[in-house]
Amino acid sequence: MQTVLSVKNISKKYGFIQALNNVSFDVPKGSVFGILGPNGSGKTTLLGIVLNVLQPSSGSFELLGKEPDADARKQIGTLLETPNFYHYLSAEKNLQIVAAIKGKGFNNIDNVLKKVNLLERKDSKFSTFSLGMKQRLAIAAALIVDPDVLILDEPTNGLDPVGIAEIRALIQTLSVEGKTIIMASHLLDEVEKVCNYVAILKKGILLTAGKVDEVLVNEEIVEVGCADLSKLMNVLSAYHPKQKDNLLQLYFKTGTAKLDDINKHCFDSGITLNHLHLKKKSLEAKFLEITNN
Amino acid sequence: MKKLIKIEWMKVKDYRTFWVLSVLYLISIFGANLIAFRIQQSIFEREKTKMVANLFIGNTPYSFPSNWQMTSWLSSFLMFVPGLLVLISICNEYSYKTHRQNIIDGWSRSQFITAKFLFLFIITTISTLVVFIAALLFGFADGHTSFSLNDCQYIGYFFIQCLSYSSAALLIGVLLKRSGFAIGVYFLYATILENSIAGILNRYANNIGRFLPLESTDNLIPMPFFKSMQKQFLPDTSVALLLGIAAFYLIAYYVVVKKRFETSDL
Repeated sequence: MQTVLSVKNISKKYGFIQALNNVSFDVPKGSVFGILGPNGSGKTTLLGIVLNVLQPSSGSFELLGKEPDADARKQIGTLLETPNFYHYLSAEKNLQIVAAIKGKGFNNIDNVLKKVNLLERKDSKFSTFSLGMKQRLAIAAALIVDPDVLILDEPTNGLDPVGIAEIRALIQTLSVEGKTIIMASHLLDEVEKVCNYVAILKKGILLTAGKVDEVLVNEEIVEVGCADLSKLMNVLSAYHPKQKDNLLQLYFKTGTAKLDDINKHCFDSGITLNHLHLKKKSLEAKFLEITNN
Repeated sequence: MKKLIKIEWMKVKDYRTFWVLSVLYLISIFGANLIAFRIQQSIFEREKTKMVANLFIGNTPYSFPSNWQMTSWLSSFLMFVPGLLVLISICNEYSYKTHRQNIIDGWSRSQFITAKFLFLFIITTISTLVVFIAALLFGFADGHTSFSLNDCQYIGYFFIQCLSYSSAALLIGVLLKRSGFAIGVYFLYATILENSIAGILNRYANNIGRFLPLESTDNLIPMPFFKSMQKQFLPDTSVALLLGIAAFYLIAYYVVVKKRFETSDL
């Protein structure tokens, strides 16, 4: 498996604040890789380091399989934090500057403007654009070199529901074309819908990274209760129960919890249950659980 | 390098503020010299005043070859404008965050800052060219002497002075980032503060005020008249020494700006 981006032990301090703490992960080629975390968890800082606008305090990374350099960035389409353009220039002229820096001609500009529905506004100054239009122009800029790798920081930020759906569809189309997309988001729902890999950050610490269906696996929880909890704890020790109030919770992967088996096992061991309940765990609960520990 | 200049050109080509200021600046160079030239004419036209002027000033300042020094000296009072253009250019990048975007899009940090130095160099070259043309024009308009390129080294000194002022502006822009703040500090420093500090140092600290960053290049082009009087106030400083100091500061500006931009968080 080829890796597009390999982050190795990156830390970043702003004075006393540890924005990133020893973060390492690999982004496989062809994946849609979500970097998920609440606001202020270090997502943008991490991408800023990868794009050389921030300097890491320690650690290193490899981009496109080699030491990072300016030429690697030329081949990547990027949207970092906010759309950054010259306010006094038109959409088209701003994209010409992006294309010129990337060493490309201007022939793709109309094409990408059309993709984000801004073609008829190409001669309007950037300063006249609404937030959503600015965001779409930034996405157009990211697509200008037809890149194999895209880095998108909160790409649906500021877009209306239609715009959000369009961008998600666009990301999925790009993914089908075999492009690698690295996307930062604080929206679990977004990551779950478009990503197949995820890394979860919280306060600069990488909590977990891997395939979405493994990390954000849906769980079932069985709650059991009886008069003598300590005895029940012993009987059910094989299930690694956790005590919550006056109940015990048992965790199962979706579809594997069998209430009748548990009930029978307890009864055979001399315990009569007074509570037996199956709960489905939502992704939000899972996310909160991961980020709250 | 051609690519860097081309992209820098794309940034200013449709920027109206830049062009309005540039045109006003160029008009002001001719305007300031025109005013001085008219004063010269009115003094030297009348016999009475002409005798006094001849006694104190000598020949008309705008006659060849003193026109080169006169025009360079007078135009240097507008010296903060090219610096202002450079400041606007760099501070715009900071306020639009396009300095980050240029790097993200694939410029190296050193390419970005090299492009700014090239921009500064071109502005300086054009300013110098215009001053050269103005000196030539008023030299011919004066008409007392025939064309001469003697003393046209002052045009070269103007170039160095302009390079120094705009590089100082770039340094202030890179350090302060916010345009209003940077423009205020630059303007006050270039017009008032450094002159005051230089005056105090010259008075109380063995004339070392003349070696301050901008002051040292100011002294390359001294006032073209009352020379004997100036000598009583300021010690003679060799041009070679002043050029050496100018070179030192220019290299320092370059190194500090480059290091600052290439190693800090953007």
